[in-house]
Amino acid sequence: MFRNTLKSGIAALALMAVAPGAMAQELTIGLRAGPDSIDPHWSTLGSQAEALRHVFDTLVDVDEKLQLKPGLAVSWEPIDDTTWEFKMREGVKFHDGSDFTAEDVKFSIERIPEVTGPMPMTLYTKYVDSVEVVDDYTLRVKTKGMAPSLPNDFTRLFVVPSETGMEARNEEFNSGEKAIGTGPFKFVSWEPKGDMVVERFDGYWGEKPVWEKVIRREIPDDAARVAALKSGQVDLINYVPATDYLSMQNDSSLETFVSDSVYILNIAPSVKDEEPQPIKVNGQEVDGNPLQDLRVRKALDLAINRDVLVNIVLEGLGTPANQLMPEGFFGYSDNIPAPEYDIEQAKALLAEAGYPDGFEIDFTCTNNRVPGDAVVCEALAQMWSRAGLKVNAQALNGTVYFPAAAREEYTMTMSAWGTLTGEAAYTYGALVHTKDPEKGFGNFNRSGYSNPEFDKVFGEGAQTLEPEARKKLYEQASEIAMEDRALIPTVILQTVWAADADTLDFVPRIDQETRAYAITPQE
Amino acid sequence: MFGYLIGRLAQAVVVVFVMSIIVFVGVYAIGNPIDVMIDPGATAEIRENLIRQYGLDQPLWQQYFTFIANVAQGDLGRSMVYNTSVTGLVFSRFPATVELVLVSVFIATIIGIPAGLWAGYRPNSIGAKLIMALSVLGFSVPTFWIGMLLIMAFAVELGWLPSGGRGEVAQFLWFKTSLATSDGWAHVIMPALNLSLFKMGLLIRLTRAGMVEAMGAEYVRFARAQGLPDRQIVFSHVLRNISIPVVTVFGLELGSTLAFAVVTETVFNWPGVGKLIIDSIMQLDRPVMVAYLVLVVMLFVIINLVVDLIYARLDPRVRLKGGS
Repeated sequence: MFRNTLKSGIAALALMAVAPGAMAQELTIGLRAGPDSIDPHWSTLGSQAEALRHVFDTLVDVDEKLQLKPGLAVSWEPIDDTTWEFKMREGVKFHDGSDFTAEDVKFSIERIPEVTGPMPMTLYTKYVDSVEVVDDYTLRVKTKGMAPSLPNDFTRLFVVPSETGMEARNEEFNSGEKAIGTGPFKFVSWEPKGDMVVERFDGYWGEKPVWEKVIRREIPDDAARVAALKSGQVDLINYVPATDYLSMQNDSSLETFVSDSVYILNIAPSVKDEEPQPIKVNGQEVDGNPLQDLRVRKALDLAINRDVLVNIVLEGLGTPANQLMPEGFFGYSDNIPAPEYDIEQAKALLAEAGYPDGFEIDFTCTNNRVPGDAVVCEALAQMWSRAGLKVNAQALNGTVYFPAAAREEYTMTMSAWGTLTGEAAYTYGALVHTKDPEKGFGNFNRSGYSNPEFDKVFGEGAQTLEPEARKKLYEQASEIAMEDRALIPTVILQTVWAADADTLDFVPRIDQETRAYAITPQE
Repeated sequence: MFGYLIGRLAQAVVVVFVMSIIVFVGVYAIGNPIDVMIDPGATAEIRENLIRQYGLDQPLWQQYFTFIANVAQGDLGRSMVYNTSVTGLVFSRFPATVELVLVSVFIATIIGIPAGLWAGYRPNSIGAKLIMALSVLGFSVPTFWIGMLLIMAFAVELGWLPSGGRGEVAQFLWFKTSLATSDGWAHVIMPALNLSLFKMGLLIRLTRAGMVEAMGAEYVRFARAQGLPDRQIVFSHVLRNISIPVVTVFGLELGSTLAFAVVTETVFNWPGVGKLIIDSIMQLDRPVMVAYLVLVVMLFVIINLVVDLIYARLDPRVRLKGGS
């Protein structure tokens, strides 16, 4: 009571202090993470792409559900099995006034391998064999083999002017000298882990943003970010922690925006002939690997009460998951049944598989990568113990977890995976496909899972240019992988933004990006 | 004196050397930084190339010698995450930390020492007991919690001060500092106060202990017998005698606050080095970790040196000798 009165008093003072009009023109956003550089070809980090999108445009854009839409390219089509043709938007200007042409795209593609860092953007150009400029507004890309997902890869292809020159590195971009794009905002300044300031670009080709100036302030600490919003230092914050989300529900001065994210917490049971950490019954290591038995994997799945995970463990900020991608993504299957919770059947399946009294197993998770990973980890261990298993759950810092997971030292793990490209090839190709460095598949398949039937259907999809037919094949591949419990998806995590009540209009995005030009003041 | 300085310098070099080996072995034991950073969609080929590009495929001793060879040429390396020189990166954030720490040490001193003197001069008064009780709170209540309370009170509820960040910077003499603007002071005062509480508690207790002991000492009784006023006894004789432990602890605290102000920096979103180093550890950005720790070692050596020099001033019995 006291607090709210005080608050409105302060708000009134603030209103008087700031000249009318100035408020509607400037937006300050408190963000958990920002870019590592202003060079748009330096890193694949999500927070990097999110920030640089304000200054640079990508060849292909994505909507709130990560499905493709025109960006600097207005259309694209395959003209033969290994060639894509992109038509460029006409009349687009760079911030320095020069015209945007296909030559700039060619330069950008060729610049990437020269300058990219330890989170390499070559990821998005790995299918590119050569680039040919047909005329100012037509570009042909020859691919290494068939590359149906090339337009998806180009959703992260930021375009810089060809005058940038191959020598320019991070320093020239960070200082602003080379930070010239076609985006809705011009670059003003940035410091590592600090503020990034941008100004409206009046020559922008798309809808012009309402904000004259946008300050993207990095506030990594959750509590500090919430305090900054409450004290009026910032207008909007992202990644509101679950506990604050609950209290904000009862606070009429704040408004929250919730959306599903691309991140799903998946359990990966190792199905190798010999499991990395021994599985035991009565302290004795069992023969073979029980996780190779589909009945055991099904039992693990059935013992998970996803409603409890969502409503109690995650404070409501989640959605039960039955496959590795959220609904609406390219290759999401409607035929996969909703996840079931049946502890009796789980016990029966375990008994049938020869483990009536369960077994003892190590379970390793991350504890700081996404909100809720550690608590879900603990909760899962308890749920499985009801089915008679003894689970040694361990939630580790990502710095320790990832290198060890890459060395395949864990028997069963759980970590978050985000389908950042909005389509199945990215996720199923990396996680479920048999490990095949030659073809570039199965890079993150740490469980040793290998199913020729899946590989065949998925491989066919990867070699089909026609979108509808490819989608069908990916859906079928998802169904095979999920029926086989290659991985066990648990929950889709949700993201929360918050702003002062009735101030901003904002459509949350599934990729968690906070795009200033998509935010408008509320009338 | 000169020999003494040389000896100190040699010590510093040895410590830096040992510390860099520890960091190298430590990072090596955790695993490959590339596995922490790499995007999930990367192919095995991209990963292999990167590991080679950053020399992480070489045996540890070889990586270490490459590093030493570069340091010998004055190059501490480039950050893997930011791709800028690590010295530039660390020094771009160091002024913010120095600013915060200086203000907090100043607050701790001007409140802590007089409060301690008073509490030791009249140990049985109500005021002294109150001061002692508060000093216990100062170093037993966690910093982040007090920080949050301060923010809730002064930024969220009262709206007097900003909740975090560094204020406007302006030119002052030959460097840029936020202490030259009123906006800067509004930003620094709350985090500095928060950071000073622990040191303040410590200073109060140290000063009081010294004071109580000194007040019973022979020289104080003689001084009193001589008829000197208490004011003169305390400020010109006692204070000087109890300064040695206070200066020692003060020096150590100054060093550790500069190096590890990270909790306060995080809570108040202060753009200092503490936040940078924590992020670098999380991402296994080895060049930044090494450069930062080298800086910290240097700092401690310099502070210890200054403390020793002050000893010699305070106590004529102390002599500085080479290598000691």
